[in-house]
Amino acid sequence: MALSFKVKAISRSRFLRNVFLTSVFILSFLLIFFSKSDYFVVNKVKSISNNYLHPITSFIVSPVKVISHLQTQFYDFRNLQAENNILKEEVMRLKKWQALAIHNNSENKVLKKLLNSTDSNLTLVKTASLVSRNDFMFSKMININAGLKDGVINDMAVVNYRGLLGRTVDTSVGNTRVLLLTDPNSSIAVKTISNNNYSLLQGGDDGVHLVSAFSKDEKLPKVGDLVVTSGSAQIFPPNILVGKIVEIRKDNFLVLPFVDFKNIDYVQVIENK
Amino acid sequence: MFPKLLSSQTLIYHLILFFSFSLSVNYFVDLEFFNFLSYAIFHLTLIYLVFYFFHFSLIFISFLYGVFFDIFLIDYISPHLISFLVFVFLFYYSKKYLLNFSSKTISYIIIGVTLLMFVLETLIANIFFNYPINYQNLSWLFLTSLIVFFPSLFIFSKIDKL
Repeated sequence: MALSFKVKAISRSRFLRNVFLTSVFILSFLLIFFSKSDYFVVNKVKSISNNYLHPITSFIVSPVKVISHLQTQFYDFRNLQAENNILKEEVMRLKKWQALAIHNNSENKVLKKLLNSTDSNLTLVKTASLVSRNDFMFSKMININAGLKDGVINDMAVVNYRGLLGRTVDTSVGNTRVLLLTDPNSSIAVKTISNNNYSLLQGGDDGVHLVSAFSKDEKLPKVGDLVVTSGSAQIFPPNILVGKIVEIRKDNFLVLPFVDFKNIDYVQVIENK
Repeated sequence: MFPKLLSSQTLIYHLILFFSFSLSVNYFVDLEFFNFLSYAIFHLTLIYLVFYFFHFSLIFISFLYGVFFDIFLIDYISPHLISFLVFVFLFYYSKKYLLNFSSKTISYIIIGVTLLMFVLETLIANIFFNYPINYQNLSWLFLTSLIVFFPSLFIFSKIDKL
């Protein structure tokens, strides 16, 4: 009797183990497949992990965040003198630009009135702050504290005071993940200001520069040309500053973004009016 | 019911796992070394745990960590999930032979598997999702793993004696 019970228990346990192993295997396969096909189940898993697990991990690493903050403050304090001199020079330069901008603005208004043109201005959906960064090792993403409750949805443009940062990809109730321009899977349609040279930009291998993947015209732009969004892909509104061309290669060119991706604090989610 | 799962040692290992996971998925621009360190420690701890405190639930735990690592670091599920599960399944089916080795050989296997897992994750991310192989990051990870390997084994042996 005892022997028969033992044999049954082992076989049941083996059976359960096999069922468990098979279900883990099937579940993994399904998750990988759904992730590739962007199925809603995976989006749900992402949204749950963003809403519930991410705050816990952020809380756990808060002492490290404090250390990181203190270190930044220490470096800032050490560089105060040099930074002050740079800022003084920049203020002088900006004052000259301000005078020019005021003049151009008034001229612009008069010309618009004459041409009877309509403004293609942007709507600010939400100003949000950075919650955490996930751009270690593989993808280049950040988390911001704005979500569906603030009117943020997927595929909205995200900017800061320097220019275009990226687009929203995973939106949950209170959080949104932003795919930065420097991610190799990010792609934006741009044009140069000087000669309207249209092309597509993707994140480069170094995680710093953007590389042109496709150029509409055969001739390449010049080094130093400014690049703005062309607005042709519908996600990004037109004429948002992206970066400056720093290198021309045989088949493509490199763009250095205006945004300092290492120092992001506040961002704005925008859409076309 | 789960004495092996909830012993004081395994509990400490699970705390180390969760803490290093949390550090790995929150990037600190000024303290990048912490991210490399925690990422390496997570892999070493998981492999050590599987070798010396194997429990069936570890398969599910590896599955969960794999999914969450992928969601936080890549936004697509595959590289971590595949490499964690491949390792756990390989161990499960070959543990009879592996546990006959001396502790010294096992420790070399642990570091070898850790480095292999980094390569596998990077390769899968490259093949499936077009993420370029960043040799600089990979060498930093290798170096960090080699640096923390002996200190972490020393700490693990202290935890085992608790």
